[in-house]
Amino acid sequence: MLGPVIGAIFAIVTYPLVLAVIQSLTADTGEFVGVHNYVRALQNSLLYDALRATGIYALLVLPTEIVLGLGLALLVQRTVRSAVVKAVIYIVAMIPLVVPPVAVGVIARLFYAPGYGVINQVLMRTGIVNHEIGFLSNPLLAMLSIATVDIWEWTPFVYLVLFAGLQTVPADAVEAARVDGAAGWALFRHVEFHYLRPLFVLILFFRMADVLRVFDHVFILTGGGPGSATQVLSLYLYRIEFKYFDSGQAAALAVTILLVISVLYSLVTRVLPVENR
Amino acid sequence: MLRRPRRPLAWLILGLAGLVYAVPLYWLLVTSLKGKGELYRASVTLYPHAPTLEPYVRVLVERGFWVLLRNSVLVCGTTVLITLALGLLITYPITRLKVSPGVRRGVLNWALSLRFMPPVAVVIPYFALVRTADLYDRPQALIFIYALLTLPFAIWMLKGFLDEIPAEIEEAAYVDGGSRWTVFWQVILPLATPGLLASGIIVFIFTWSEFLFALILTATPNSQTFPVGVQGLVTQFEVIWNDMAAAGAIAMAVPLTLALLARRYLVAGLTFGVIREK
Repeated sequence: MLGPVIGAIFAIVTYPLVLAVIQSLTADTGEFVGVHNYVRALQNSLLYDALRATGIYALLVLPTEIVLGLGLALLVQRTVRSAVVKAVIYIVAMIPLVVPPVAVGVIARLFYAPGYGVINQVLMRTGIVNHEIGFLSNPLLAMLSIATVDIWEWTPFVYLVLFAGLQTVPADAVEAARVDGAAGWALFRHVEFHYLRPLFVLILFFRMADVLRVFDHVFILTGGGPGSATQVLSLYLYRIEFKYFDSGQAAALAVTILLVISVLYSLVTRVLPVENR
Repeated sequence: MLRRPRRPLAWLILGLAGLVYAVPLYWLLVTSLKGKGELYRASVTLYPHAPTLEPYVRVLVERGFWVLLRNSVLVCGTTVLITLALGLLITYPITRLKVSPGVRRGVLNWALSLRFMPPVAVVIPYFALVRTADLYDRPQALIFIYALLTLPFAIWMLKGFLDEIPAEIEEAAYVDGGSRWTVFWQVILPLATPGLLASGIIVFIFTWSEFLFALILTATPNSQTFPVGVQGLVTQFEVIWNDMAAAGAIAMAVPLTLALLARRYLVAGLTFGVIREK
């Protein structure tokens, strides 16, 4: 039973990849062109803009989310005693994880867009600024805007994972360290961090996978603009295939990305703490 | 000595964090409750002066989004059934039958590796496949792809739930003369029902939120799902804020309600069972 099902799914997943490889080696006319599409894909300077945007995005969101998530997890762990408050925090933290990214994009527009965006409204009414700030029209601010949305959406995930991890730290290990005089940062650094380490690996793994696939809220908030300032890898690939209709180049890019990701994956998966025996 | 935690500061930080999550939802709801007149006033109002459900009615009825809502429910529901069935077909053998550890590990690793794949890289070959199979702008194309996309989650979640059913219960049923088939239906399946429900809800939530494939593989209300409709309101030349907010609120309400039902399993589902809630 297992054999045929796995075999069928494997075939279904593999067949389109074969199609992609074929597409990447042929011109629109169906004529074989060798690595021509790959050369074009790699010579396109917009690709490097996209890689840079993705890199900046990752550097903005990953450390921020981990620091904020860890900070909140430690804070709640050390100060909140009431089970009700903990349950409320759990539910609030869950909300951004299940709100569809499209709806998150809508909310972000209601905050940043010119004309109605509430941030500008509040800033202007309190007299802090005289003119609307172009959150989506200034390249730097646009990047910061999409990053804040990601941070809003995913810090709770980091919090939930690390908070759950903190619950598994044995109480006597903490007690023993406290007797030895460890507190605050030292307690975390020498005791709790040891138990959380596999979870940090897990968080990095999932969040890196998500950063590479980020599309929805950027598409809705900035559409990759202004210019190509927020055109992350997913948006770039989308544009090559569905705006420029250059399917040869798009397929070449897709195959290249899949190869790079497979290599990355095989490296990362060795240290991933999932139970898979 | 234990150091006394600085409580007021802690509460202040938690309160601020709460605001960071409450205000966006507040602003979405407030905007969705504003009438046309209020929207076009010179200064933006920070709360609805004359709350109205008019934007919701306009989105669902006049713009015809109820069709997209129906499509979404249909696509997500069917995907859940297919994913759970496939998930059981794969996880039952690797958890309850004698399968070599190599196969077991291979299946689980392969499922996990799919999580790392950026959908936009596979959407291009799938687009070609869907076009040749004449499934473009049909719900079937979405169901087919969503079942594949959510299968890894289902495999890992169901594996966790099936592993928790003690082997002794199953063995006792065999001693009583049950066949593999009857034991599966009468012993394993009932015990796995909470797990199936939780996995089903989480698959539904993921599918409900999916946007990229829906955007690319659909063109008309024939198969468009709700998120595609929401996006259509956002990129219009003149943005109608209250309609857009109402559509966003509807898109959000369904997964939020479901998530409350499956809250104990949500984090487990998102982390492939690494984090288990008690």
